[in-house]
Amino acid sequence: MILEMKNISKSFGAVQALKDVSFSVGSKEIHGLLGENGAGKTTLMNVLAGTFGPDAGTIEIDGNIIEGMTPKKAAQLKIRFIHQELNLCNDLTVFQNMFLGEEFTKQGWMVDKKREMEQAQKVLDSMNSGIDAHTIVAELDTAQKQMVEIARALLFSSELIIMDEPTTALNNQEIEKLFSIMERLKDEGVSFIYISHKMPEIFRICDRYTVLRDGLFIKSGFIRDIDEHQATELLIGKSFVQAHIKDGIKAALTKEVVLKAANLSGRSFSNVSFELHRGEILVCTGLQGSGTDELATSLFGATMLTGGTLETQSGPLAMHDIKAVMRRGIAMVPRNRKERGILPDLSIRNNNSLAYFVSKHTGLLVNKNEEKQRFDASQKRLGIKVGSDLDVITSLSGGNQQKVILSRWLELDADVYIMDNPTQGIDVGAKFSIYKLIVELAAQGKGVIVFTSEYPEIHQLADRCLVLYKGKPAAMLSRDEISEVAIMEYSTGTRGEVLN
Amino acid sequence: MKGLTLSRNQVRDTWRNVTGNYSHWLSFVLLLLVAVIVSPSFLTWNNITNQFVQGAIVGICAMGMSLIISAGMIDLSVGSTVALISGFGVMVLNSTHSIPLAFLFCLGAGILGGLINGLLVTKGRIAPFIVTLATMSAWRSVINQMGQGGPFTVDKDMYAPFRAIAAGRILSIPHLMLFLIFITVLTGLLMSKTKFGTYVYAVGSNQQAARLSGINVNRVKTLIFTYAGMLYGLAAFLLASRLTSIQAASAGMGYEMDAIAAVAIGGTSMDGGRGKIIGTFLGVLMLRIINTVLIMANVPPFLNGLVTGVIIIVAVLAQSNKKGK
Repeated sequence: MILEMKNISKSFGAVQALKDVSFSVGSKEIHGLLGENGAGKTTLMNVLAGTFGPDAGTIEIDGNIIEGMTPKKAAQLKIRFIHQELNLCNDLTVFQNMFLGEEFTKQGWMVDKKREMEQAQKVLDSMNSGIDAHTIVAELDTAQKQMVEIARALLFSSELIIMDEPTTALNNQEIEKLFSIMERLKDEGVSFIYISHKMPEIFRICDRYTVLRDGLFIKSGFIRDIDEHQATELLIGKSFVQAHIKDGIKAALTKEVVLKAANLSGRSFSNVSFELHRGEILVCTGLQGSGTDELATSLFGATMLTGGTLETQSGPLAMHDIKAVMRRGIAMVPRNRKERGILPDLSIRNNNSLAYFVSKHTGLLVNKNEEKQRFDASQKRLGIKVGSDLDVITSLSGGNQQKVILSRWLELDADVYIMDNPTQGIDVGAKFSIYKLIVELAAQGKGVIVFTSEYPEIHQLADRCLVLYKGKPAAMLSRDEISEVAIMEYSTGTRGEVLN
Repeated sequence: MKGLTLSRNQVRDTWRNVTGNYSHWLSFVLLLLVAVIVSPSFLTWNNITNQFVQGAIVGICAMGMSLIISAGMIDLSVGSTVALISGFGVMVLNSTHSIPLAFLFCLGAGILGGLINGLLVTKGRIAPFIVTLATMSAWRSVINQMGQGGPFTVDKDMYAPFRAIAAGRILSIPHLMLFLIFITVLTGLLMSKTKFGTYVYAVGSNQQAARLSGINVNRVKTLIFTYAGMLYGLAAFLLASRLTSIQAASAGMGYEMDAIAAVAIGGTSMDGGRGKIIGTFLGVLMLRIINTVLIMANVPPFLNGLVTGVIIIVAVLAQSNKKGK
C-alpha cells in the first residue's frame, strides 16, 4: 500500500492542531512519526483512521483519493490503528476480543466460535506469540495484550498498521520480540507507522521518518541519513525561552536536607535516591511509562513502595498512611485535577479546607468564619477568581480550580511540597502564576519536588533535574547542565543508560 | 425592552435557584396544597402530629440512609436490622425488666450491625449493595428462626411504662415527633457543622481525590454505617415500644424502600456527593402526605409499594435532568 496525505489541516476551536501537513508512507516500510507532546502526531493519525475528517487536504491510497474517511472505511482499506491505551475487554477471551464487533456468524445470527477460534489461533501462531486464543485477556501480561492488539490488526489482513507508542509498557526483551514480528510482516508486505518518543527504538526499527512540531511538517527522510542528536534537534527546534521567573525572586538554597530518599523501588521504578534541600526545587522528569507517575504518588504514601526508605529531619517516614505523611510536613498536589484533585460536588471553600481538616483542625465543630478567612487569605495570595466561595468548584475555570487545589495544600504550611504535574491542562497565565508560587515557596525555605515532562517548566523551575529512563535514574542534572537536548537525550535513552 | 429582558433573566435565575436548591421545599409545599385541597382538615394539629408519629421511625432510619447515599453507597438491610434488633430488644426487656438496659442493648446492637456492614464494605472490599443485600437476608432469617412464627410480645408488667415511650406526649407533642426532630437536628449538625460531614460528601463526590487529601476513606465509610446502625437501633427500640409486639416476618418490612425514597425526593444525589438533611426530613413527611392522600382517594393500600417505586424513579429522573443542563 502506498499512502499519501497531502496538505492536511485540522483545528479544534481556536487551536490549530495541524497546518498544511503532508505525509507519505511507501509499501513495505516502517515509518517513524516523531514529535513532542501536542505536535499533532495523534491528530494526523486520527485523520488517517477516519476518527474525524480534516478541515482541508486529501488522503490518497495507491493513487486513489479517498473521500470522507470513516473508521469503517479505513478498516475496509486495511488500515488499522493500534491506540496507545489498550482497547481490550479483560473479561473476554483472546479470540472474542480479536473478533469484537466483527464476529463470524453462522446462519446469520449465531456466533461461529469454532471458526473464530481457529482463525485467531492461526494468526497468534504465525506471530510465534505463544498465546492460546482461549485465554481470558485478564490473565495476559501487558506485552501479551499488545500482541493481541497486533494480532487483531493482522486478523483482517491489514496492509497499514499504525502503532501509537506501543512499547510504553514493554521491557527490552518484549520490545525485541515485537520488532522481529514487525520485520517479518514488513517482508510480507505490511507497512507500519510507528509513533514513539524513544530514539533508540526509532533508529532500530524504522526505515524513514517524519518530524512534526507545533502542527507543522518539519522534515522527512531516511533514518540512515541522520543520527539521534540531529533527530532530537529537529524534534524540539529552536526553543523559545521566556523571561526567567527565578531571577526576580531571591533564592534561599541551603545545604540542609529536608527529605532524603534512599533506594526507592516500586512496581515501575527502582533504585531512586536523592536528597532534597531546604529552599530547593528538584524537578523529576521522564517519558510516559518511565516510572515518574508512580514515584510521585509513592513519595506521599499513596502508592506502596516495594523497597527503600524516606526520611525527614525527624526520622524515617511510615509510608503506608497518607495522613501520617501529611502530619510530618509533606504535601502533594496530585496530577490530573479532574480525577485526583477536585471534589466536583463540594463548594470551593470545602475543597480548600480538606487537607487542613485532616491534618490541622482540632475540635468538634467547624468555625465557618475561620474557614472563610483561610480561603480569603489563599485567594489573595494566589489570585483566585471566584464569585462566591460557596459555589461548587466546577463553576471555576481549570486554572482557578488548580489554584484552589494548590491552596488546599498551602494551608498545611508543609516543609516539602510534591507537585505532580501542577500545570496540567491550564492556560499560560495560570501556569505562570503557579510557577511564581513554586519559586516563592522555595524562597521561603520549603523543599519542592516538581514532576513534569514539559521542558519550559523544567527550565523555569529546576535547581536540579532528575531524569528517569525505564524506571531507573538516568541523570541528575545541575542547573547549568539542564538543556532541552540533554533532557531529551537522557529520557529517550540516547545518553547515559543508567546512573550509579 | 432591555429592562424587560433583564427582569426576565432575573425571574429565570430565581426560578432556577428555587427549582435547583430548594426543590424539596417546593415539592413539599405543592404536596401540602394538594393534601389540603383534597382534605381541608389536613392541617389540624391532630392530623399533623399523626403524620409525624407515622413517619418518625422510618424517618430516623432515613437519616442514616441519607449519610450512606451521600457517600455514594446504599443500604438494603434497614428493615431486617430493625426487625432483628426490636425482636431481641423485647427479649432483653422481658428478661431484665429494665427499660434503660433494653435501650442500650438496641443502640449497641445497631452499632454492631452497622460495624459489620461497614467492615465488609471496607476491609472485605465488597460493594455496599451486595453486603447489605446479604445482611438483609441474614438478619431476617435469624429473627424468623428466633420467633418460630410467633411474635415477640412485651410482658404485661412492662407493658405500660414501655409503651409510654413511643405513645406518650409532652404538651400534646408526641414523643415520636420529638425523637424524629431531635435526630434530624443532630444529623443536620453532624453534616453541616463538623468536618466529618464534609468528609462524607467528599467521599461520595470523588473518592480518589478524598484519599489523596489525606482522608481515611475506609474509616469514614465504616463510621457512616456505624452511625446509621445506631439510628436503626433507636428505630428498633421505638418500634418495639410502639407496637409492644414484634412480628418477626413483617416488622420493619420495606423500611429500606421508604428510607431510600425519602432521601431521593429530599434532593440527595443518588450518585453521592450532594445532599441535605432537611431535604430528607421533608422527604419523610412528603411520603406520609402522599400516603394519606392515597388513602383519602381510596387507592388500595396494596398499591403503596407501586407509588413508592414510582416516586424514587421520578425523583432520580428529576435529578439527572438537573445535571444534564
